Amino acid sequence: MTPHGSKRQWLGVAHALLIALVLGCVAMPLHAAEEDEHVLMLYGLDPYLAPFLVMDKAVRETLASENGGRVIFFSESLDSQRFAMERLEPELVALLAKKYRALHIEVVVAVSRTALDFFVRHGERIWPGARVVYVGFLGYEFRPSELPPGASAVLSILDVAGTIDIARRLQPDAHRIVVVSGVSEIDKQAERQAREALAKLDARVPVEFLSGLPLPELAPRVAAEPSDSIVLYLTQFRDRDGRPYEPHDVLRAIIKTSRAPVYGAVESLIGLGVVAGSVASYGNRGRLIGEQVRHALAGGPPDPSRTVLAAPNGCVADARALQRWSLDERRLSADCEIRFAYVPVWRQYSWAIALALLIFAAEAALIVALLTQRHHRRLSEQREQAQRTDLARAARLAMAGELTGAIAHEINQPLGAILSNADAGDLMLDSGTDRRDELRAILADIRRDDLRASEVIQRLRDLLGKQKFERKEFDLNDAVIDLESILRAEARRRGVALEIRRAPESLAIMGDPVQIQQVLINLVLNAMDAVADESEDRRTVALSAAKGEGGAVLAVRDRGRGIAPEHRAKLFESFFSTKSSGMGLGLSITRTIVEAHGGRIRVESSSAEGTEFRVELPLAISNGAPSQHPA
Amino acid sequence: MSITPLIHVVDDDPSMRAALLRLLDAAGFEARGYSSTGEFLLEPRSDRPGCLLLDMRLPGPSGLDLQAMLQRENITLPIVFLTGHATVDSSVRAMKAGAVDFLTKPVKRDILLDAVQRALARDATQREAREKADHLRGQFASLTPRQREVFDRVVAGKLNKQIADELSIAERTVKREREQVMAKLNANSAADLGRLAELLQRSTVR
Repeated sequence: MTPHGSKRQWLGVAHALLIALVLGCVAMPLHAAEEDEHVLMLYGLDPYLAPFLVMDKAVRETLASENGGRVIFFSESLDSQRFAMERLEPELVALLAKKYRALHIEVVVAVSRTALDFFVRHGERIWPGARVVYVGFLGYEFRPSELPPGASAVLSILDVAGTIDIARRLQPDAHRIVVVSGVSEIDKQAERQAREALAKLDARVPVEFLSGLPLPELAPRVAAEPSDSIVLYLTQFRDRDGRPYEPHDVLRAIIKTSRAPVYGAVESLIGLGVVAGSVASYGNRGRLIGEQVRHALAGGPPDPSRTVLAAPNGCVADARALQRWSLDERRLSADCEIRFAYVPVWRQYSWAIALALLIFAAEAALIVALLTQRHHRRLSEQREQAQRTDLARAARLAMAGELTGAIAHEINQPLGAILSNADAGDLMLDSGTDRRDELRAILADIRRDDLRASEVIQRLRDLLGKQKFERKEFDLNDAVIDLESILRAEARRRGVALEIRRAPESLAIMGDPVQIQQVLINLVLNAMDAVADESEDRRTVALSAAKGEGGAVLAVRDRGRGIAPEHRAKLFESFFSTKSSGMGLGLSITRTIVEAHGGRIRVESSSAEGTEFRVELPLAISNGAPSQHPA
Repeated sequence: MSITPLIHVVDDDPSMRAALLRLLDAAGFEARGYSSTGEFLLEPRSDRPGCLLLDMRLPGPSGLDLQAMLQRENITLPIVFLTGHATVDSSVRAMKAGAVDFLTKPVKRDILLDAVQRALARDATQREAREKADHLRGQFASLTPRQREVFDRVVAGKLNKQIADELSIAERTVKREREQVMAKLNANSAADLGRLAELLQRSTVR
């Protein structure tokens, strides 16, 4: 077996195992082991209502911590508030029966009266042998005697007295208590409980019952109550005209317009707008349910003392409602649970926020660091550029010093002509004869020479006066043309034959024309230096601008004795010079400038042929377009 | 002198050259322009009096080169140098080599014309001296060999008797030849003769 084959086989086994595992997980409830216990949470209402989630969690936690064996939970929702059960029931029952056929459910937790009723009607068919744990309200929703055999219950108590007590803590100066209730059987039971509780109250506060008022009448009636009244809402499923209501809708309608604070004694009302109430918390209920389920799972006969467990009541208040009616939260007892309080986000999620802030800070620091780094880099680039520009300028000034003779000649030539012309004109006028035509010619010459002189000065200013690096597109030929006269003057001064050739086509490059001219002057002056001591036939320098493979090519060639091989390597280094008067900056700056323009400089030298410097500069992109070059 | 002097202007800058010619013309001089030393040298040499207004920096041989060459050729045309950029080195060289003046462009009219005048004056003086020397040489040439022998000894400060002894002739003969020499050379005394001898010597050595 090849190692490859072996590997593949192992992979196959792993796959099979994985598939088996996944299938096993999915199928487990259907083929559950006998020791597993199955509990169904049957909700009459939407199981995702916030209090149910709290309760459900508590049930599971209780069973997980208290039961040694494994309890598997299932859940079904009838959602009877939103869907008409009567029409769906046959199909639903058939579906559930089919669904649970192969599964034995030991305990069904029926949450709300609807769920209990459903279980009573269909439990035996769908979940044969299951025991039920009912979760509901004692008194106005349910009586213990209605429990089916073998069932147990967790009931909450409507704590009207406790709720009134809370109300009076918050409103010690209240003048009236108004109790709102309906006329349905449940409503009546609740009202009866309330009357009993209120009767026991030792207060001299008058109590008024608003029982079964139709909503259009009830809302204005409550709204008319002064703000120092206490309004206690029980439930109203039906008004005296027999009109059915959703109890929560009635509460919402009252809350909307009431100036007096409204209280409620059922936990589900907290959050709908009531201020507070003495209610049984869903967490506590969940724990009790867990205990009942565990007891039911244990089997055996129901323990009469544990059939019905009552969830303890406690004070719960709504911070938003307290604020709405300007009630002082501090009047409540210390153990009162305040819900919907505005907990500052940073306290509620302090860790998350701290972490987020830390990450933000780290990110910000990183960004700042990167920006700083970039800034520094740009600064140093700018410094470098400025340094290069300064150095280049210094070198240009030095170069200009070298060229003073040529420059002076270039300027004095036209000035001399101007002066002599003017003098000649003067003399002609003195002579008294009419030599108007000659005078006119003199003036024309003066004008032309003046322009010539100022042109030279302008060019020098361009060359020497500029501080900043400029980047623009220009023709290399033009740079050569601009320098031609001064280079020729210098060549003449030195007795060197200078040949200048330009390209017939445009040589558009990007960069600083002055710096490129500097390169040009420097190379030409170097070449002239190289031939200074040569015989006349070798005192020649050739400068050419042409289009080559590497872009624009600037070549300066002399017929000198070449560069000594040992000097070639150091040629472009700063402060290296073979000349007694040289600073040794020329070629190093030349190369720096050329490289800053994306080009390169090469040198070929032999003692027989002389030296040639070739500068290759990339052509500007737009060079591809046909451009006209002045001949 | 009846012939007007001619000023030669050598400058490669056409504009400068034209301006100079114009100025000289307006100042009453006759002038001719050349764009290079070569062009000047190609012109047939004439014996016309004049001077040279010479640019220092020229294509090909420079002004200084031309000056040196003229000197070698024994051409005494006085030179006024004109330059766009004067250096100590070049000005010293030019003046040492006998230039009349060394001017920088732009040059003031008075200074230029003055320099030209001086150059022409020098030319005239040189010409006069040369003519004088030529005349003297002509006169000297007319002396007989015997008279030349007598002249040499008179100039050397010898007495008639000594000369007679040396030449083995009669003292009377010496005296007669000496009178003839004085007459031919237009001299009045032995001192006059000595000066003439000096002049002759100088002009021939040159």
